[in-house]
Amino acid sequence: MPQPAGQQPAVQQSAVPPEPRPRAGAVRRRPLRTASVGLLVLAAAALIGSAPSAGAPAAPPGGTLRIDTAGCGRPPGQLPAGRVSFTVANASNVYATVYLTSADAGLAYAEIPWLGPGKTLPLATTLTGGRYAIRCVFSSGPVRTTTPIQVNGTASGAVAGYLPMNDKELTAPVNAYRSYVEAALPKLLAAAQALDADLAHGDLAAARTDWLAAHLDYERLGAAYHSFGDYDDSLNGLANGLPQGVDMPSWTGFFALERGLWHGRSADQLRPLSQQLVSDASSLIDDFPSEDTDPGDLPLRAHEILENALQSQLTGIADYGSGTTLATLDANIQGTEEVLSVLAPVIQPRDPSLLAQLTRELPAFDAEVTAARAANGSWTPVTALTAAQRLHLDGDLGALLEQLAVLPNLLTPRNHA
Amino acid sequence: MIRPDTNPAPDAGQCPMTAAAPALRRRAFLRGATVGAALGAGALAGAYAASADDTTATAPGPSGRAIAFHGPHQAGITTPPQAAASFVSCTVIAPDRAGLQQLLRTLTERIRTLTAGGPVPATDLASPPTDSATLGPVLPRDGLTITVGVGASLFDARYGLADRKPAQLVEMPAFPDDNLLGSKELHGDLSLQICADSRDTVMHALRDLTRHTRGLLQPSWKVDGFHAAPRPSGTPRNQLGFKDGIANPDTTDPKVTDAVLWTHGGANGEPAWVEGGSYQVIRIIRMLVEFWDRVSLHEQETMIGRRRDSGAPLDGTAESDPPNYQADPQGLIIPMTAHIRLANPRTAATADQLILRRGYNYERGLDLDGNLDVGLVFCCYQQDVARQFQAVQQRLAGEPLVDYISPTGGGYFFALPGVKGPDDQFGAGLLT
Repeated sequence: MPQPAGQQPAVQQSAVPPEPRPRAGAVRRRPLRTASVGLLVLAAAALIGSAPSAGAPAAPPGGTLRIDTAGCGRPPGQLPAGRVSFTVANASNVYATVYLTSADAGLAYAEIPWLGPGKTLPLATTLTGGRYAIRCVFSSGPVRTTTPIQVNGTASGAVAGYLPMNDKELTAPVNAYRSYVEAALPKLLAAAQALDADLAHGDLAAARTDWLAAHLDYERLGAAYHSFGDYDDSLNGLANGLPQGVDMPSWTGFFALERGLWHGRSADQLRPLSQQLVSDASSLIDDFPSEDTDPGDLPLRAHEILENALQSQLTGIADYGSGTTLATLDANIQGTEEVLSVLAPVIQPRDPSLLAQLTRELPAFDAEVTAARAANGSWTPVTALTAAQRLHLDGDLGALLEQLAVLPNLLTPRNHA
Repeated sequence: MIRPDTNPAPDAGQCPMTAAAPALRRRAFLRGATVGAALGAGALAGAYAASADDTTATAPGPSGRAIAFHGPHQAGITTPPQAAASFVSCTVIAPDRAGLQQLLRTLTERIRTLTAGGPVPATDLASPPTDSATLGPVLPRDGLTITVGVGASLFDARYGLADRKPAQLVEMPAFPDDNLLGSKELHGDLSLQICADSRDTVMHALRDLTRHTRGLLQPSWKVDGFHAAPRPSGTPRNQLGFKDGIANPDTTDPKVTDAVLWTHGGANGEPAWVEGGSYQVIRIIRMLVEFWDRVSLHEQETMIGRRRDSGAPLDGTAESDPPNYQADPQGLIIPMTAHIRLANPRTAATADQLILRRGYNYERGLDLDGNLDVGLVFCCYQQDVARQFQAVQQRLAGEPLVDYISPTGGGYFFALPGVKGPDDQFGAGLLT
């Protein structure tokens, strides 16, 4: 872990794992604030640098690192705080991942995700005072670390250190999420069966009510951007991309049913769709246990579910007649809360304030969405929202997304960082 | 279930190319963007040295022209119009006064940063990139100005500012020749006038500002403008083909600007904090150019009061010639209803009605008839809206030109006093 500038460098104790430390600068209203303070300082520095008498400022220090499977190059022993840039040349015949870490390897500051044989790329960031090192992870196995680099002084534009994530840490959250889905799928099937039974009896009013319940059961799963693959298309596909749009005979799922239920189709006409829905929900139940969930997928979903909702639900694009896209948004928030709760153990050591903030703000936003319902509890179509309601919902969801967007990066597995 | 592409970090013994193999999907695209960001950081290393002297850069591309952000007045008012502009009206959605304070602080910091230019900050491994990179890794200054105004609605009950309202700030009324019914481009809590030497610099700035103020400020309407080059010389032309903006007050003369442009604390019933601000009027004025193009040149010129070729008043020879209305009391040469005569009769009584016009042409698609939706984003600054813009506007009511133009939106705002230095911020006087 970097030592404060001016302090005696501590003896490296590689046997003792570093105390996990939250990201520096983790206290923030929104993710960008820390960075913006830094930019000010840098901009001021740039101004000073461009004074007529100053001439061209030097390129950021760092120099060239020639790496191969025997070593990760020879960086300078001392560097001033501020921007650094190492030109990393891979002289080996295998791929390498290169990290700039704290000297004790506890935190990572910059990376070259992959550097091909014979290729050269920069490893650049902004560092404040402390002890750092560079580590090369070669695809053939070797892991090499440089001698420590002492960075002197302070730089307020410095990036926060990242507590490396091993993909094994996501095993428990992934299992928890899968349990959640596995427990929820039978409810989805039962709801689809109820809808199908309504249509079998020709009860369109009951079908409209049960359609919403079933659809929300699905939306609560936290599917986003085709995360259930082909099943998501058949169960919940929009007509947008279909050559014949809403008239496409092969269009199935909740939105096809919604379109029919709210556009005067008869129960007989809709029955094939509800039967298909039951069949697809049943197949998903059968299929789910044998499908892998990639560990990296879960943190992505933490922001993608609501990105999807902003794009399709809050705009009303996904409204095929029922006017219930706010209900979908509400279910999507609950899905996101579930993802956040299973990820909480891995977020907590990395950014506890972000976790606390999201844990507070997701329910608050959910309350704002449900408050937009009519007095009788029915959902308000987004087109019927007042301008002020719309502005607040858009802005508040946008603000939530700016925070959720940190999670995929924060929780990207970097097994060797 | 589809397996998304996995983290590209190569594990021991595994060629990373296999990790990249899964189908190219949206996420794969985003991953690509991440790699691109790394490359961008590399370009940064090279560009850092190159940025040294960007004020004198002569290479093609964004200008290095810097317009000072700090000062007693905001930039973008007396600044000669840059090539590109966006006028954006926003609703403040901050939950309370502290949120409003944070919003104004963030706007101050971002505008200070964006107008100063320089390398974008490094991104830590746990965050999306700090900058969109649409201007590359080193922000050019590019003559960027961002002028912040506040609307009357900001002084309602939400933030407890009712007793701080600038004395003349009201919601823009509908004038007799306006077409505001059903308009979705009216009024607002806060206006942003973003101008720069290049369109992409304007866009970058707006994208940066909305990102940093998400949850505090929500844009509600926006009009983009362009400033025509002089054709062939002198004042640029509007889309009626006439030179527009010839008779602006002399902004280099402090006596003039103090008399007609800047608001003064304690004067005219104004609260102390408005010192150095200015009232901003934005009007989206569509020009019915197909109709206009079917009008004879003579009729066009008598409606405007100037020659179309040179911009000269009909009684003169050069655009800078002042019209002599006293010599033409019956309007035989310049009709009494000509636009320039009604707008600025050049009498002692109307001298204090001068407004600083800073409009931009706009074009944005077609109407339902297939006619061009083009016109003028009229923008003017003044010390007192009622005494200046509104008096002029009332005189123009019913002028012959109204058949060819259609005001469809806009609003009244108050451009805040300037940010005086590194320790100052927008609204410091308003909120203390």
